[in-house]
Amino acid sequence: MPDGYMNKFLFVDLTSGHSNAIEVPNWLRDYFIGGKGYGIKLLNDLVPRGCDPLSPDNVLMFMAGPLTGTLAPSMRACVVTKSPLTGTLLDSYFGGSFGHEIKYAGYDGIIITGRAAEPVYLWVDDGRVEIRPAAGIWGMGTLESNQAIKEQLNDRSVKIAGIGPAGENLVRFALISCEYNRQAGRGGAGAVMGAKNLKAVALRGTQSVQVFDSDAFLQAVKKGYQELKSSPDIKALTDAGTASSVPFANEVGVLPTRNYYDGTFAGANEISDFGQSKHLWLRSEACPGCPIRCSKVGYIRTGRYQGTVSDIVEYESAAMLGSNLEISDIKAVTYLTHLCDELGLDSMSTGGVIGFAMEAAERGLIPLEIEGQQIKFGSPLAAEKLMQAIALRRGELGRLLAQGVQRAAAELGSDAEEFAVHIKGLETPAWGPRGATGIALALMTADRGGCHQRGMPLGEDLSGALWNDEPVDRLALTGKGEIVIHYQNYLAALDTLVKCDFGAFGIQPQTYLELYQACTGRDLGGADGLQQLGAKIWNLGRLFNLREGLEPQTDTLPKRFTQPLPSGPCQGHRFSPEDMQVMLQEYYRLRSWSADGRPGQEIMNKLGLSDMQTMSITT
Amino acid sequence: MRTVIHCNFDLCTGCAICQMACAQVKTGGTNPRSALLEIKKEGLIYRPEVCAQCQNAFCLQVCSFEAIYRNDENRVLIDAAKCTGCGLCVEACQINMVSLDQRYKKAIKCDLCGGNPACVEFCPTGALEKITLGGNAGA
Repeated sequence: MPDGYMNKFLFVDLTSGHSNAIEVPNWLRDYFIGGKGYGIKLLNDLVPRGCDPLSPDNVLMFMAGPLTGTLAPSMRACVVTKSPLTGTLLDSYFGGSFGHEIKYAGYDGIIITGRAAEPVYLWVDDGRVEIRPAAGIWGMGTLESNQAIKEQLNDRSVKIAGIGPAGENLVRFALISCEYNRQAGRGGAGAVMGAKNLKAVALRGTQSVQVFDSDAFLQAVKKGYQELKSSPDIKALTDAGTASSVPFANEVGVLPTRNYYDGTFAGANEISDFGQSKHLWLRSEACPGCPIRCSKVGYIRTGRYQGTVSDIVEYESAAMLGSNLEISDIKAVTYLTHLCDELGLDSMSTGGVIGFAMEAAERGLIPLEIEGQQIKFGSPLAAEKLMQAIALRRGELGRLLAQGVQRAAAELGSDAEEFAVHIKGLETPAWGPRGATGIALALMTADRGGCHQRGMPLGEDLSGALWNDEPVDRLALTGKGEIVIHYQNYLAALDTLVKCDFGAFGIQPQTYLELYQACTGRDLGGADGLQQLGAKIWNLGRLFNLREGLEPQTDTLPKRFTQPLPSGPCQGHRFSPEDMQVMLQEYYRLRSWSADGRPGQEIMNKLGLSDMQTMSITT
Repeated sequence: MRTVIHCNFDLCTGCAICQMACAQVKTGGTNPRSALLEIKKEGLIYRPEVCAQCQNAFCLQVCSFEAIYRNDENRVLIDAAKCTGCGLCVEACQINMVSLDQRYKKAIKCDLCGGNPACVEFCPTGALEKITLGGNAGA
């Protein structure tokens, strides 16, 4: 019977040039479902212990889930690898059509290891796999090379995931740009691809994804649509993507400003949906299979950046490249975001790195100028020059900053540590946690470092959402562990399917369960089953991170957040080391981890992880 | 009277839900490539292309086996029992709305799902609309 799966991985060894299709073992499918589940399990099994993320031995995986490529609303896929930025697990999610095409080409995932002798791209045409020279394409931007590969293959319908100059030059926060202009942004997956001399993966698939019970599936799909349509949160995303979060974050005082020094920004409205819709947006665009259409397309009509085709500058980019750099000109912020995409830089980390550089220049720790531009807050021209220098590793500043905030600060010395805003090496997202303890705990414990997509209780902490029918005190140091763990597990479970974060704001847990059941003919065991699945993956991820050298004392916040916030409704709030310990100890206890943050045998047995089979791949 | 699908390109987000729904209903599985309608990217817009249920239907004219006919509601339909899979209709359609089903070796095209097209039902923005025109086939 069909079950939504293609039941095969494509394995490619770029060193030998050998590729083959591998059956997905039943135990892997039953226990880990897909997407994040497959990725975290195979990181444990396939990545050699202690391997350099930029060595040929690291494994780069594109993983779909059972619902990817189906009519289930708002589904995506993910890249999973060992991060060159954090040295620990990295799973980075992307919308667009590349993830669906993995299924249409006949696979549930693509697993790539080794390193090609010369720059290449991978061409997968249904079951036919070819490694082609990328000599003429190497050096091009992400969107430019997307076009060039389509011209070479003489087919506009090919779906491509590729890197820009940043990935080629092993910038540790380089992204993978997925068809079309959807980013697997965080954690440096693009550098892993660059280290493999792999410019792009191009797919064309004619197979269809078939579900177990078509009628029941369509019913569940319609239910999902209805939930999306009736949700006020989704309506906000349909109208304005996440750009409307800018004024919200500003009002509640968590909008990063001046390298997270402050939490409010006078220019917030200009870089929000208000400024963007007025100056840029013309129409909405959606990823395949998504009714939400959070993307807003337009172009810059006048001025220095005239003619640049623009997509929405979503919240994270607007804040990290706007308020965090004190840039309020929305055209400039739009252009800088576009430049990040084309160069192949994660706009979030780039905003963090440039904010760090601007403060370092202010404090006299790095040169005051780059290529004729003064490095200072508020200067889009300096930001542009810094981006280009980073992506091309040009000059001493380019080299220094291409490593990310953590390594750059370590080189500059202890003064720089005071304003190096990262968690475990990953530059933090645009939610300054001072004044919101649940957000702080989620950031401290996120499995890939400073990340906003791992159970941050924004609603409970900041906008009055109830937890167990009770309001939540945004400053409470206790009681947040339970909430954060619930969401971390729930979202990790949905990341096996593979959901979009925005879809999950509207689609109810029961509907995801029904979609899965009608698609696969199997049962996830209700809400408890989702928690159990998420906990399994979370613990296995923690074990991988510990195996790769994660020190539990890095479950902490950057020093900047131990200083009082200067303004806004959270003025004066800060986290002391004692505050963090109170929260962490509660979290560890509820996770059944030891007091130093390690999963013990008991929880491993309970989750069935003790005698787990392992997967090995031989060619 | 003639029922057709009208495309409001200005509302199209390129989400391909129409194609995925079409493929699901017509082939039992999703892949936009196997849908009976297309979405074309032109500059900053997407333009859906659907069967026009032509009044002057080339596909119908070129069929040597009378497998393509017009029903009472002026829908242009294919009688699979008569279709030999010769492909003349596929060549004849100038907007590429007739294709050959690879599995059954028969021509297939949009039949408006018997009057309630899945693409229109699933389209989240109203970019696809079912409308009735006054045109009279053969007039």
